Amino acid sequence: MPVFKTPFNGYAVKFSPFYEHRLAVATAQNFGILGNGRVHVLDLSPAGPISEFAAFDTADAVYDLSWSESHDSLLVAAVADGSVKLYDLSLPPPSNPVRSLHEHTREAHSADYNPVRRDSFITGSWDDTIKLWTIDRPTSVRTFKEHAYCVYSATWNPRHADVFASASGDCTVRIWDVREPGSTMILPAHEFEILSCDWNKYDDCVIATASVDKSIKVWDVRSFRVPLAVLNGHSYAVRKVKFSPHRGSFIASCSYDMTVCLWDYMVEDALIGRYDHHTEFTVGVDMSVLVEGLLASAGWDELVYVWQHGTDPRAP
Amino acid sequence: MATQSAAPPNPTDDKPQNPASEIVQPSVEDQNDTRTGASGGFSSTSVFVNSEPMREEQVQNAVKFLSHPKVKGSPVMYRRSFLERKGLTKEEIDEAFRRVPDPPQNVSNAQPAGTNQDGQVKPLSSVQPQVATQILQPSAAAPAGVISTLTRSRFHWSHALLAVGFLALSGAGTAVLFKKSVVPRLKSWIRKVVFEEEDGSAKKTDSKPSLQQEAAAAAKTAAAAAADVARASQEMLLSKREEEKYFKELMNLIGMQVQEMKSMSNAIQKLEGNTHGRTPLTEQDHRVSAKSLRQPNANGNVDFDSYSARSSPPPATVEPSAAPHPKSYMEIMAMVQRGEKPPNIREINDLPPNPNQPLPNPHSAPRAKPWEVGQTQTSYSQVLQSHESTYGLNSNLQDNGFVNQLSGDSSVPWWQKKNVRITEIENEDELKRGSSGVLTNERPVQRSWVPPQPPPVAMPEAAAAIRQPKKTLSEKQVADDQLVADPSDAIDELQRITKISESGGVVDANGGSSGLSKRFSESGVDTNGMSSGLYTSEIQEEQEAY
Repeated sequence: MPVFKTPFNGYAVKFSPFYEHRLAVATAQNFGILGNGRVHVLDLSPAGPISEFAAFDTADAVYDLSWSESHDSLLVAAVADGSVKLYDLSLPPPSNPVRSLHEHTREAHSADYNPVRRDSFITGSWDDTIKLWTIDRPTSVRTFKEHAYCVYSATWNPRHADVFASASGDCTVRIWDVREPGSTMILPAHEFEILSCDWNKYDDCVIATASVDKSIKVWDVRSFRVPLAVLNGHSYAVRKVKFSPHRGSFIASCSYDMTVCLWDYMVEDALIGRYDHHTEFTVGVDMSVLVEGLLASAGWDELVYVWQHGTDPRAP
Repeated sequence: MATQSAAPPNPTDDKPQNPASEIVQPSVEDQNDTRTGASGGFSSTSVFVNSEPMREEQVQNAVKFLSHPKVKGSPVMYRRSFLERKGLTKEEIDEAFRRVPDPPQNVSNAQPAGTNQDGQVKPLSSVQPQVATQILQPSAAAPAGVISTLTRSRFHWSHALLAVGFLALSGAGTAVLFKKSVVPRLKSWIRKVVFEEEDGSAKKTDSKPSLQQEAAAAAKTAAAAAADVARASQEMLLSKREEEKYFKELMNLIGMQVQEMKSMSNAIQKLEGNTHGRTPLTEQDHRVSAKSLRQPNANGNVDFDSYSARSSPPPATVEPSAAPHPKSYMEIMAMVQRGEKPPNIREINDLPPNPNQPLPNPHSAPRAKPWEVGQTQTSYSQVLQSHESTYGLNSNLQDNGFVNQLSGDSSVPWWQKKNVRITEIENEDELKRGSSGVLTNERPVQRSWVPPQPPPVAMPEAAAAIRQPKKTLSEKQVADDQLVADPSDAIDELQRITKISESGGVVDANGGSSGLSKRFSESGVDTNGMSSGLYTSEIQEEQEAY
């Protein structure tokens, strides 16, 4: 399986929704503590090795990115200086970024593009807010301020165009509707900080949350007092959780225990795959929407792996 | 407008028990008339709203919590956050806040808190001029009283002024007191003494002899006592010296024993060193130090605690056993905390060179998501468009040598054979697609859970198989997981197997099996049994799933 070495520590990886062979990686110098950042756009080749299509340098660490669902060449990056940058791959790197939106007062930690309406994206920040943007506007459309601590992740519902969920360090997950003034639901999902959340692509009321308490919980928002499943198996905080775009009950997760795990939350023995190819914290994981079973992961060991579920990521 | 799409019916939760949401929604819906109802309309039966009735017990607990004096001193945001973490809904929290008698404490309402503080500023300012005019204790009491009423310590300047005033006044007060009361007493006492001396000198001549005798007796006893004391102190000194001597002797003995032990251990180490065939002292010292270091780690978790330092906001890895951070991470953290900047940072200007750069037109239409199954018709046509547009794109893009297969380019060697077969296959593919279009619509989509299929066998060629030329892959995606996955697309039988696993598609029984057997016989691969096994499992899987 091909590997790509980034000069900085990896933070996020996302497959392009337009091209099967393309993915983007967000990286940060010095583990994201203090330093520059870089966005890499990588291409998989049939011969094997991953090549870099483009790279964009930023003054501060890049914590997350999201591909546009409307434009095949647009990329949104969440940067640690609070800015949200828009990159256009059809332009040469010196003409990039095409937009830099400064509104968050603290680090922007997550970015997610609306997959249904395809016209807007949300960013979550450590300033406790989530902002809604459209690519044609220089300022945010709305700001959602209710969390009491950093928002680590905000993700759109795959079926309901105006619904999204946010995970925060105040130990709650909030469900929002952009047409409503405030959050519509509050899930006190964990006793510790919640680092990531994701919707089930095949059941629009099911959401998975990943927390510092090393567990992943799967909830049905219609009866949210008790989780549908609690997935234990990671030995340290779970950093990111992602539902499979192809199988409704599959969840991929990555953790500070340096592994990427694959779960099936409807089965008694939920852990169905475990990959320990990284040698440092795994911080980003993604499953391709276009190629079933294709996984990618990024870690603080400055490596990006792409492999097919069931194969060994480190195999040559 | 609000078409109830595939939102799962929930009889219990459909009851709109949220009067607030009901009021909002009709107006919201009016505004959203222009929006397409593709999302399935947020009406009063939205699933993403908490429709539980308000729990009185929870509200009462919250009221108790909010009425606690310590809680009242905390910021409103923290109170709300605490209640939210305890599982209270927004309505319950709002109700609890309403019931608590204090001024309203909505998150957005900073003004009541502000007016509270304003009210406290005014009594302070009125007190200050009074402080200057009043004297001594009443004025000392007033600033003290005002200070005690101040719950919020925002006004440090007034605090300081009050303190200074208080000190000055107390100093002045003591000075006055001193003057008034103490000095006269002193004077009177001095006068008394003087008078007494004068009297005393007159009386002394009368009672001299008795006085002298008494004085002599007293002097004698005092001398005797002094002598006793001197003796006792001398004895003490002597005993102390003796004790010191004994102590020193003990220390010497112990020192000697320690030296003996050291020498013995050295001898032992030398012996050990000789048996391992290593002589240099440095090695032995290293091992000794290593042994001594290992002891504190016996508990296992001691090291982890030292790694729990973190910068201001990032995810707390502290409470449930902090993950051990890499060493260089700790170094950088230490550097930053000391205020140093790591050396490898560059000054980068990452602002857009042209902030008004026009955004590009989308090159290709958005591709359908695998879970948007209810729209196979539209997705089919959409994907066809993208299919064609990606053809166009292929000729434009110059990345990684993706070759336009239709042109039959022979420049890249290992694509060649595939090209030939692909062109043949494509004709068949299109024929079949035409017929299979009907099939897809007939197949009902079952989104029920599918048992996980056994992972495909890891084969070396599988790596290449994933990165198929865009053509064939996009054709696969045209099939959109439910259409016929053309076996003849894959040239390599191994590629084909991974293809099936990727797309999870249906294999056309007629064309597929014959094609498969041909290829297997041609190449005679050992994995015959495995691949056929996968093939059958695929069939089963697709039957269950689709």
